[in-house]
Formats: sequence, structure tokens, C-alpha cells
Amino acid sequence: MDALTRAWLALLVFSGLTAAASTLVGGGADTRITGIVVLVLALLKSRLILSRYLGLADAPAWRRGFNLSLTLFGLLLLGLYLFPTL
Amino acid sequence: MTDHAPPSLLEELPGDLMMWVLIISELLIFGAGLVVFLSLRISDPIGFAEAQSHLDRTSAAVNTVILITSGYLAAKGLHLRLNARRTAARLALVVAAALGAVFIAIKSAEFADKAAQGISYDTHPFFMLYFLLTGFHAAHVVAGVLVLLLVAWRDTPEDVEMGAAFWHMVDLVWVLLFPVIYLLA
Repeated sequence: MDALTRAWLALLVFSGLTAAASTLVGGGADTRITGIVVLVLALLKSRLILSRYLGLADAPAWRRGFNLSLTLFGLLLLGLYLFPTL
Repeated sequence: MTDHAPPSLLEELPGDLMMWVLIISELLIFGAGLVVFLSLRISDPIGFAEAQSHLDRTSAAVNTVILITSGYLAAKGLHLRLNARRTAARLALVVAAALGAVFIAIKSAEFADKAAQGISYDTHPFFMLYFLLTGFHAAHVVAGVLVLLLVAWRDTPEDVEMGAAFWHMVDLVWVLLFPVIYLLA
């Protein structure tokens, strides 16, 4: 199986886990925890798309830059999301 | 003996530089939209949660799978084209575009459902940003479908690479929009 197909399957798995986390939200789970899980999964998905779909796996410096930027952006979103609960 | 200088940073970047400028610009625009969305939510988390409960998470999750699979086919189409398998590449690109059309159909049904519920952009700030961000993204999906069909027809490797990259940008934006707008209660 090639790297692209593995990436697609991983994206499907991450999407399934996201759906499971959203079901937990509906079931009364702590939304802070499920929110963190959902954002981490979104970050993992975006990294895979950049790396395998857009080909940054062959451009490690750019991949590191994008991953760092996305991680910082994810932390900003997480901070804004959790702010009302503080 | 030949000297092999390592590629410069710009040379290392796959595809066309201008496409990456567009991808980064779009990510910044949608990223700013998501920051505004969560910033407004701070002043009214209960109102945002109530508004969000009117969204159809299942159809949005289905749309995620559709876009991810469509992106896979677009990437596969590029690989096939680079290996001179033009017919298979065209087929992959056309199916990718067809999945994009399915995404639009589901999104249209979602918007129609909101209209039937009497929900519009001025119902609540949540819906103003929901319609703005998902509507703007849907416009990109429409453009992406047309681009995929265009590069399936005029299929130079460079054009296919550009068309696929545009489509992956649409995919990338959606995997960030979806959890924030539909799931972060």
C-alpha cells in the first residue's frame, strides 16, 4: 500500500474518531476534553493533508514550518474555546 | 565530477509558488474567520451552543469523508498523470469533481433546511459566521469542481498539479472549519 493510500485511510480513521468524540458531546461528556480531542484530530488531519496530499513530505523544511504554524493556530483556537470555562 | 547544490528553500516547495501563495492566503482568511468565531463565542457561549444544536453534524461528517476521499482521488490523479496514465488520471479527477458536486448538494440541502427553520444570517451572530464561513468555503468547492474538470480536460502535468493543489486547499480548510463550527459546543 502506498503512502497516499495510507494517508487517506488514516484520514478516514481520524474522521471516525472525530464523529465518536462529537457523539460523546451529545452524551454529556466534558466538553473541554472532547473539544481538545476534536481539535487535536483536526490538527492531525491537516498535517496529513499537507504532508501527503500536498506533497510537503518531500519538503521537510516547509512541512516543519506549516506544522508549527498550524500547531500554534490550534493552540490559539483551543485557548479561545476554553476561555469561557476559566 | 559534477557539483550537486542542494535545492533552495523555494525549489524544495512542490508545485507552483503562486499556488502556495494562494493556499497560505486562504488559510489566513479562514483562520481569521475561525478566530473571530471563537472570540465572539466567549461573550455568549450558551447562545452559540444553542445555535449550534440546529446544525446537522451527521451530514457535515459525511461531507468530511467525501472531501477527504475526493482529495485522495485528486492526488491519485496527479500521480497517474505523472506516470503518463492519462485516461486513469482523467477518470480519477472527474470522480473527484463528482464527489465535490455531492458535497455541494449536501451543503445546499443543509442551507435549505436552515431556511425552512426560519434561520438566516441575522438570527444570531453564530449563524452570521456559519453562513459566511461555510458559504465562502462552498464557493471554493464550486470553483474547485470546475478547476478539476478543467485540468481533467487540459491535462498537462503542471495544470493537474495546480488543480489538485487548489482542491487540497479546499479540503484542508474544511477539516479546520468542520470541528470548530459544528463540534465545539
